[in-house]
Amino acid sequence: MNDLTPDDPVLRITDLSIDFPTAKGVVHAVTDLSLAVAKGRRVGFIGESGSGKTTTALAVMQMLAPPGRVTGGEVILGGTDMLALSEDEMRRARLSKVSYIPQGAMNSLNPIMRIEDQLWDGVTAHEGARPAEELKRRSDAVLESVGLPARVGRLYPHELSGGMKQRVCIALGVILSPDLIIADEPTSALDVVTQRHVMQTLKDVQARIGAGLILIGHDMGLMAQSVDELAVLKDGVLVEHGTVRQIIEAPAHPYTKDLISSVPLVGGPSFLDAAATPAAAPPRETEAPLLEFRGVTKRYGDVTALQPMSFALTGDVPKIVSIVGQSGSGKSTMGSLMLGFTPPTEGQVLYEGADVSKMGQAAALDFRKNVQAVFQDPYACFNPFYRVDHALKFPYRRFGYAKSDAHVQEKMEEACEAVGLDPALILRRYPHQLSGGQRQRLIVARALMLSPKLLIADEPVSMVDASLRATILKNIHDLKDRYGISILYITHDLATAYHVSDYVIVLYQGHVAEAGPPREVIGDPQHPYTRMLIDSIPWPDLDRGWGTPSTAQEDAERLDRFARETRTVMRGGIEGFTLSA
Amino acid sequence: MTDKSTDVTPPHADGDLRAPATREERRAAKRARRFENPWMNPKLYWGAGLLLGIVALGLLGRLFWDMDSVFTGANLLKLPPVGFENLRGQAGTFANPLGTDGAGRDMVALLSLGAPNTLYVGLLASLIGMSLGIALGFTAGFVGGRVDDVIRVLSDVMITIPPLLILVVVQSVFGDVSLTLMALLIAGFVWQSPTRLIRAQVLSMREAGYVQMARLSGASTPHIMFREMLPNLVPYLFGSFIASVTTSIVTAVGLEVLGLGPQRVPTLGRTIYEAIDAGALIQNLWWWWGLPTLLLIVMFLGLLLVNLGLDEVSNPRLRKL
Repeated sequence: MNDLTPDDPVLRITDLSIDFPTAKGVVHAVTDLSLAVAKGRRVGFIGESGSGKTTTALAVMQMLAPPGRVTGGEVILGGTDMLALSEDEMRRARLSKVSYIPQGAMNSLNPIMRIEDQLWDGVTAHEGARPAEELKRRSDAVLESVGLPARVGRLYPHELSGGMKQRVCIALGVILSPDLIIADEPTSALDVVTQRHVMQTLKDVQARIGAGLILIGHDMGLMAQSVDELAVLKDGVLVEHGTVRQIIEAPAHPYTKDLISSVPLVGGPSFLDAAATPAAAPPRETEAPLLEFRGVTKRYGDVTALQPMSFALTGDVPKIVSIVGQSGSGKSTMGSLMLGFTPPTEGQVLYEGADVSKMGQAAALDFRKNVQAVFQDPYACFNPFYRVDHALKFPYRRFGYAKSDAHVQEKMEEACEAVGLDPALILRRYPHQLSGGQRQRLIVARALMLSPKLLIADEPVSMVDASLRATILKNIHDLKDRYGISILYITHDLATAYHVSDYVIVLYQGHVAEAGPPREVIGDPQHPYTRMLIDSIPWPDLDRGWGTPSTAQEDAERLDRFARETRTVMRGGIEGFTLSA
Repeated sequence: MTDKSTDVTPPHADGDLRAPATREERRAAKRARRFENPWMNPKLYWGAGLLLGIVALGLLGRLFWDMDSVFTGANLLKLPPVGFENLRGQAGTFANPLGTDGAGRDMVALLSLGAPNTLYVGLLASLIGMSLGIALGFTAGFVGGRVDDVIRVLSDVMITIPPLLILVVVQSVFGDVSLTLMALLIAGFVWQSPTRLIRAQVLSMREAGYVQMARLSGASTPHIMFREMLPNLVPYLFGSFIASVTTSIVTAVGLEVLGLGPQRVPTLGRTIYEAIDAGALIQNLWWWWGLPTLLLIVMFLGLLLVNLGLDEVSNPRLRKL
């Protein structure tokens, strides 16, 4: 490990321990963590939520939220003991010696100050009053270094896009040329194309000023493309530390292996085991397609969320249709239209031939019975007032399936077991006692218990930790294979769509860019937008290029052009689903 | 979060099973229990205790004291409490332990009738106001559109009108009113802020995942409103209720001190009005106005403590470990 700890590290953390006293006892957020960051090196902290990665970084800046406290160890930054600094000394060290680029830059900038004023604030707070022309020169230079034109300085935060705001935050972090930059999931709120651009900018600036960089994240692919060394944290313990190649190619710790194998790859091995004979779809009374869009358009004021779209899902053979797109592509609008939560501006959404927005009470109940959903946020889906059983029991009774209390109980237990949950540990509990992963699986169990004909899964795994994503997607996939439920899978993640779906629709700004079977659309994209999306995904593969700052910049600029052209590339169809452009 | 990381088992959880040895540890354990069960809150207990004390005063007075001595001329005039002398040199007697007022009414009887009456007006006005507020707030937040506009504008306009001004006019026209009618009149001015509060909460809750889930489950609108949303509003409702009780009592006492409100029913405000009217301040008849004021202070303190306690229940961030 000698090559990892050079003689003059910028940051040296030795045996750092951090405790959080809580009502249930002391939680050891970080235990005996030792690590060094060399000058100009990029170190990634990877781990799941609650693994202590952010806590460690915050401790370096004495910014732990109370009641958290450092109980042992030391943090040496450029020869100074950071934990021994007084409040005022620490204030002076922040930004000038160690800077922090927070998650979600949208909320980190003052909305009523011009960008350059915010940059100047940082300078004057550390160096005292400076002549105006010097400030202007420095802010222009630093904005330029993150690839923003100098005129951005005169703008207010709301006039910038998310990616630009994140780059302003980077500029703010490097304006005083600190020894160490800590970036806490700097790209988590951005789409892949912008993510690549921001990440390339950060790497570029960091290399230029020669600072150490700590990148906190949970995405193995992003880490592989961005850092030199990787530190894997689990429950506050550093389980593995080495060069990124060493960790990705030969992980030693089983948890690291899990982390790496949980990232699905396009073209890589599938994490699903296909059933030999897929179950048949439930018998249907009508000839009309299960779900049909007829020229459906949705506008919110002047913004068109969804351009006219027509498709028909017959539902005779269970299928998984993926709708892939970045935020703002209209994919969630589609989900909400299909569920009848929002009426279309033009066109009709038909369920078995009946217009969803004009249904009578009995028909509406039948529609609800047969069209169910799994939503993105497993934390919000349970009413905190009731035990989790309520979410399963209530619809089961409401739809008239329940014969007796014992029958409901039995069904609930069956459904829990089918998704791999132990009913004895899950039922009768309150939502806050379950983890996000458990809750999301319970929602899948609910869908299974109601056995609808169609399930709309809106980003079902985007808020679940990486290691559980594959399991939950498998559960959802099983709904199709074993129970014959047709599924519309809405996601931003092309890799999972590649594996689970029978048909993929790539949406961009409300229109279909490319559609067809996943092996063609994602495996061999023809539309430039799809190709760019796939190129922008960071893979946990070191030998795959991820472009340079300039290509990332070009791609970000090309996005606007795609918005104007509305060409659709159709890549062949499948039985049971027809999309008419 | 993984299955494992949520079930954080503190390494010395076994230590908690031991009986806490030192006083320090016992105190820490008590704080921790209080943190876990927010209803075990000393502020809440003390506040509720003070309010129940007022109710108990009314009950015990009726049981153990001669309520007829509340009438004019039932006793000697202007007697001081036991252990004091009035300006005429008369000493207090045990027949009237808290003294009598300028019309010879016994203070014990007056207070044990008046204090619960004042609380009653406050509670009733607030109960009616809250019910109105819940109904209007839910309707505005849930139905939206034109209905929301009407309710919102109405409550915004009403909130800018000083209630005392209107009530003074109304009550002067009505002349003598009963306690219940007075509560009804006040209720007309305490529904606005619960309406606004509930409307705002309903608007944000309407988009909550579990409400969407309930809609998916085919739940009816009343079910979503009262079974899914309302239980989660309970802490806010309690807090808002206590706040409007305070407002109602302040309004009621304000009117009574001006000589308005019920003329023939003893209330704390009316007693203070009569004391001022009869020049109790210059005659040094401090018990006449001082005792009702003291009871009002007790009442407000009780309400304040209950409100602070409920705040901690509904907002875990206020709880200290």
